[in-house]
Amino acid sequence: MNERPVRLRISDDLMRGHGSVFFRVWFALPFLLWLGLWATAAFFVAIANWGLTLVLGYSPARLHRFFERFVRYTTHVYAYLNLGAEPLPSFNGKPGYPIDLDIDPPARQNRWTVAFRFILVIPAMLLVTALVGSGSSAYGFASAQVGLASAGLVGTAAMLGWFVGVLRGRMPRGLRDLVAYGLSYGAQAWAYLLLLTGSYPSSDPLTAIGPLAVRNDPVQLEARDELRRSRLTVFFRLLLAIPHLFWLSLWGIAALLAAIANWVATLVAGISPRPLHRFLAAYLRYQLHVGAYLYLVGNPFPGFAGDERSYPIELRVAGRERQNRWTVLFRLLLALPALLVAAAYGSLLFVVALLGWFAGLVTGRMPLGLRNAGALALRYTAQAYGYIFLVTGSYPYSGPCLAPARPPTTTEAATSPPPVA
Amino acid sequence: MRRITRRLSRPTTLAVLAGAALWVWAAHSLWSTTVPGSLHLPDVEPTRFFSDSFLERTASYSRFLEILALLATLTLLGVLAVYARRGHRLMRESAAGRVGTGMLLGMLGFAVVWLAEVPFGLIAVWWQRRYDISHQSYVAWVFESFFALGSTFLFVSVALAIAMGLAGVLRRWWWAVAAPLFVGLSLLFTFVSPYFVPNAAPLRDPVLLAEARAVERIEGLSDTKLVVQNVHRFTTAPNAEAAGFGPTRTVVLWDTLLDDEFSSAEIRVVVAHELAHLAHNDPLKFVGWLALFLVPATALIARLTRSRGGLARPEAVPVALFVLVALQLLATPLLNVVSRHEEAAADWTALTVTRDPAAERGSCVDWQPPA
Repeated sequence: MNERPVRLRISDDLMRGHGSVFFRVWFALPFLLWLGLWATAAFFVAIANWGLTLVLGYSPARLHRFFERFVRYTTHVYAYLNLGAEPLPSFNGKPGYPIDLDIDPPARQNRWTVAFRFILVIPAMLLVTALVGSGSSAYGFASAQVGLASAGLVGTAAMLGWFVGVLRGRMPRGLRDLVAYGLSYGAQAWAYLLLLTGSYPSSDPLTAIGPLAVRNDPVQLEARDELRRSRLTVFFRLLLAIPHLFWLSLWGIAALLAAIANWVATLVAGISPRPLHRFLAAYLRYQLHVGAYLYLVGNPFPGFAGDERSYPIELRVAGRERQNRWTVLFRLLLALPALLVAAAYGSLLFVVALLGWFAGLVTGRMPLGLRNAGALALRYTAQAYGYIFLVTGSYPYSGPCLAPARPPTTTEAATSPPPVA
Repeated sequence: MRRITRRLSRPTTLAVLAGAALWVWAAHSLWSTTVPGSLHLPDVEPTRFFSDSFLERTASYSRFLEILALLATLTLLGVLAVYARRGHRLMRESAAGRVGTGMLLGMLGFAVVWLAEVPFGLIAVWWQRRYDISHQSYVAWVFESFFALGSTFLFVSVALAIAMGLAGVLRRWWWAVAAPLFVGLSLLFTFVSPYFVPNAAPLRDPVLLAEARAVERIEGLSDTKLVVQNVHRFTTAPNAEAAGFGPTRTVVLWDTLLDDEFSSAEIRVVVAHELAHLAHNDPLKFVGWLALFLVPATALIARLTRSRGGLARPEAVPVALFVLVALQLLATPLLNVVSRHEEAAADWTALTVTRDPAAERGSCVDWQPPA
């Protein structure tokens, strides 16, 4: 299943020590200091490695081992710092950490891609910035200068995980998997830049961290998109979405009023009234369709009604369910962490759209990894809004996951390829 | 003879004839003017006011832009003709229903036109920069025109949503409801348009303000808003316009008009001219002329899109676009005549109010691009 030359392996049990989490940044300081020193050495060795790989066509074994350890050590330190794993990492970057990397031995690489590696890696590093934060990309300083500095998805997940870890002594799996997803992509990008591999990093969350959780959430996303993109509609995508954004903002006002009414009604009855649930579910679907179109996760121009099964990137919203009145009463407060994660996913969506725009224009296709990363961000945003609007009482799941298999309807079986997310 | 009589007595023919008579009557009413019919203007010899080199430079400037506009228009028609034939193939890019797909095809039509017109726009910018008319950079122009396309898309989408929605219900007769509806919307936009003038601030100059109020009283107006629009970053050309009606009546003066090049008497004439437009209800008359254009235009679109199943079908949208743009181009000379007619009336009123022909002449002379 996982054919990547750089693979993330997880053996973490999610258990965390309260004190270890509380002082995590301080405990991580020596490792960060060592990482800084190692990175300085790696910078100079990388230049030598680039020259040698350009001449030989492959990275020399010793240098390959050096960078393998460096990338692995970086992953260990970031996993530790961001609460992706519990134990202190070793200083030598040897395998055996709960969040670890398997890296293939040196292989022949295309000399042209080696020569221009520093340029070719720019799109990947933009994604690293959105996923892991600006400090972790090769262009961290530059991106900070243009206002892109952020904690990234991993930093946001770590911050929220810190509160949970301190209080409960556990890291939620969704947050841990989100950290792992970011680290997996970061490791691939660094491995590509440092010539450990010639394979371009894949941002596909479905294959990033090994086996995924299978979850039957009340708000699920289904992607049956064929990845083909019309260059004309890609070029004008932002403008073509304007009527939808206009309509969405009008609908949003009505949805906000409906959500307030839903809040009162659910607080009284313990369950969302059927008409309000249906209306808000349609709004969520429409919001997802528009988001998918705008961010190039989907290709066709969506309809304006948010109809079920009308778009290849579809939101499945379960029927209404009884909800705990206490969580209903404090829903806005409880949703704050989800909104933080959704905002971080927003940065990822922006980068996905930006890169997808260029890829779509050049190749007429959306790369699968980008499409699935965008779908993940849209799914989380839809779940967060579903939770805020009381369409569901289930808290949004922040990590990549799989939905249980659903037999396709007769029409789907006849017309569509199988779902991919 | 009997055949013609029979044809003329058909209800449809009678309705068309009645409509035509109504059209002529309405056009005649809109054409009415305050300029005395006995007024005979002498021929103006430009060489009395401008140097030969200036006139030559001006002619060269205009000639190039006219040729460019002709080429751009031919390209526009060519692109839309091809789009009318083949545009329906883009229906596969839509998962929206009938109306949504029509909206997409409408927007893509203008998108294709924009792509085809970009070279002409860039050449025009180059030419204007050469004559120091524009300061805009090429990149800024491309981005600005690209994003301006967004408002076109929104406008086209709303118009198509209305027209196709009505066509779904009323079939062949959608235009009978759509045309008055569009006129109503246009009336609304005319009313609110002064609120959307970008980079505008109220006129602060107390002397000019007092003079403008005095002119306003003479022209029978009151409470007209006077604003200054900041445009000097983009152009050196001076200009002014009148917008809105009723409580939103506004005169917009470009800040390039208020620099030292124009005397206060000349600026007063310009203000009187714009106030005259408002006193003559020209913004409202424009809506009236639009109504006179829209009714036959929508009827013709309804007729010519029948081969594609009528405007209720999205595949008819590219044809509708072509017909609309072609009709617009045909109507342009007529609208220019109307516009010159209204400008002459505003000039006449400004002249009778200010009684300052020297300033009026001076404003026209200074109105030219720098030589």
